[in-house]
Amino acid sequence: MSLLEIDGLHASVNGEPILKDLSLRVEAGEIHAIMGPNGSGKSTLANVLAGRPGYEVTAGQASFDGISLDGVEPEARAQAGLFLAFQYPVEIPGVSNMEFLKAAWDSHRAAQGSQPESAVGFMKRARALAEGLGLNPEFLKRGVNEGFSGGEKKRNEILQLLLLEPKLAVLDETDSGLDIDALQTVAAGVNRFRSADNGVLLITHYQRLLNHIVPDRVHVLTEGRIVASGDKRLAEKLEAEGYAWLSG
Amino acid sequence: MAVGIEVLQTLEAPPWLGAKGLTRCRQALDGKLVRETWKYSPLPKVTDALIDTNVHQEPPVETLPPEAVLHRFDELDAPPKLAIDLGRYPLAGIAAARTGAGWLIDVKGSPSHPLRLHSPAAGISAPLMVQVAPGCRVEIEQETLGSPEADAPLTTNAGFGTHILVLSLAADSKAHWAAAELAPTADRWSLLQAHLHGNAALTLNHQATVASFQRQDVNIVLGGRGASLSSVGAAVVEDGGRLDQQLVVEHASGGTVSRIKQHNLAAGRSRCTFNGRIHIHPGATGADADLSNRNLALDPSAEVNTKPELEIYNDDVRCAHGATVGQLDAEALFYLLSRGLDPQQAQRLLSLGFLRDGLAGPFAERAAEAFAAHFTSA
Repeated sequence: MSLLEIDGLHASVNGEPILKDLSLRVEAGEIHAIMGPNGSGKSTLANVLAGRPGYEVTAGQASFDGISLDGVEPEARAQAGLFLAFQYPVEIPGVSNMEFLKAAWDSHRAAQGSQPESAVGFMKRARALAEGLGLNPEFLKRGVNEGFSGGEKKRNEILQLLLLEPKLAVLDETDSGLDIDALQTVAAGVNRFRSADNGVLLITHYQRLLNHIVPDRVHVLTEGRIVASGDKRLAEKLEAEGYAWLSG
Repeated sequence: MAVGIEVLQTLEAPPWLGAKGLTRCRQALDGKLVRETWKYSPLPKVTDALIDTNVHQEPPVETLPPEAVLHRFDELDAPPKLAIDLGRYPLAGIAAARTGAGWLIDVKGSPSHPLRLHSPAAGISAPLMVQVAPGCRVEIEQETLGSPEADAPLTTNAGFGTHILVLSLAADSKAHWAAAELAPTADRWSLLQAHLHGNAALTLNHQATVASFQRQDVNIVLGGRGASLSSVGAAVVEDGGRLDQQLVVEHASGGTVSRIKQHNLAAGRSRCTFNGRIHIHPGATGADADLSNRNLALDPSAEVNTKPELEIYNDDVRCAHGATVGQLDAEALFYLLSRGLDPQQAQRLLSLGFLRDGLAGPFAERAAEAFAAHFTSA
């Protein structure tokens, strides 16, 4: 049983078909990179997996940890261990980051039948993780992503990844808008998360992130389906030659 | 208005109001202005209740600091001028006539402890005026406590209450009025009337959970140069509740400043009305006003009416106003769901986040708890 199994998936957004017969398998312990030109369906794949409303699966299926995702609500997917790092994390004024993180963690523990962690212990852990990601712990007191720079928002996504310890992380262009230092910090966070028990689906436009996070497999998504797969050398070829050769 | 008209004729006007004043109130009840501002609330029922409900004879004061002195109007050589526009607020005259009394608190210092007002959940209270001397500062706290049933002296029509507070701020004085209505109350009508002289500053914080009918009239007159108002408030209107807030801020002098922020959440089958009017008088050059009213309609059956208005009679002003009515942000909701929060938790967190921006003052923490309790029990 694979951690993520996608078979012949078709999906539409607002009635427009985006994913067309996409198949993919991610095993525990693996990092898979998804690359592809703009509009190829990368973010659609991420949102379909997370269960975002408006993203309709029209054929095929996806299962996570042996359970079909068909009809599973977004919160149940998250509680089961599926995490989406947003390309554009949402700002939520009035809701403190710490309050939000604690609520998310408590919901995960409740889903596993565990008691909530003490607030003091959780806050200590959150502060330490924030510092490790170069985020001032004062950010934890502010509204969720409120007034954060692009880089701070992405670091906050990785903070959530490390706190919630999911089984599968789908990172939707987490490298976009990052300077070199932030890119390295975020990559270090993902590498810290990486283990034999979990998997990562890394959606990116650029090979530069893969200099820091070495993928086990690289896939090229074009017009809603995977048209090429390989190891990290495929990413280097794309960097050097672009996508044109794939359609030639 | 047919309702209660005969009884209105029999009321005796207190000296400060006079027979002419009471007549004006009776006439104003039928006038266009009052009908317009009571568009979303049952004026005949409120007038009836005002006539029928028992009267509180004791002063509406819980704690009086030593720098403040309490007087009955009829003990004074001359009754104070309340400066209430009876054409707009005729119920004030009728309530005053019902009680036959009035109270004045003279603040001639800057108390280190707040002046605490008693605000019973039900019953007609006599008008209270707080007069702050030049250069002095006072904190006023007013909390409406308990259920209507808890007000033992009231045996008839215990389902209605009123409160009239008049603030008169002399030059260079400061007042902070903080009010909370966080427990179930009777249906209520209240009026806050304030007049500010030069460089006086008034801060208002009002937080409420509304499960009954609440009509709140507020009229602030920035009468002296440099006078300023800052108002921050939040309310949760619960299923079946009716909140009707009518705010008029008058910039009557130059260099006056007003900042108003009101966040209201309408749940279930509730109705929430906010009508905020900024009136810049012809001579009020350099006036600076900002009015914001945000509303969250939590359920499709909740009704929200909001109308921010600017009425400007000179060119040298800076005015901004805005009103929003919306539901929970779908992007924010999905973000929370994608982190494992269930829909109820996510709704609670987003709603409390929305309200938090309207919390300030000494009751802010308790209001946050009361708001949170609403979502726990919902």
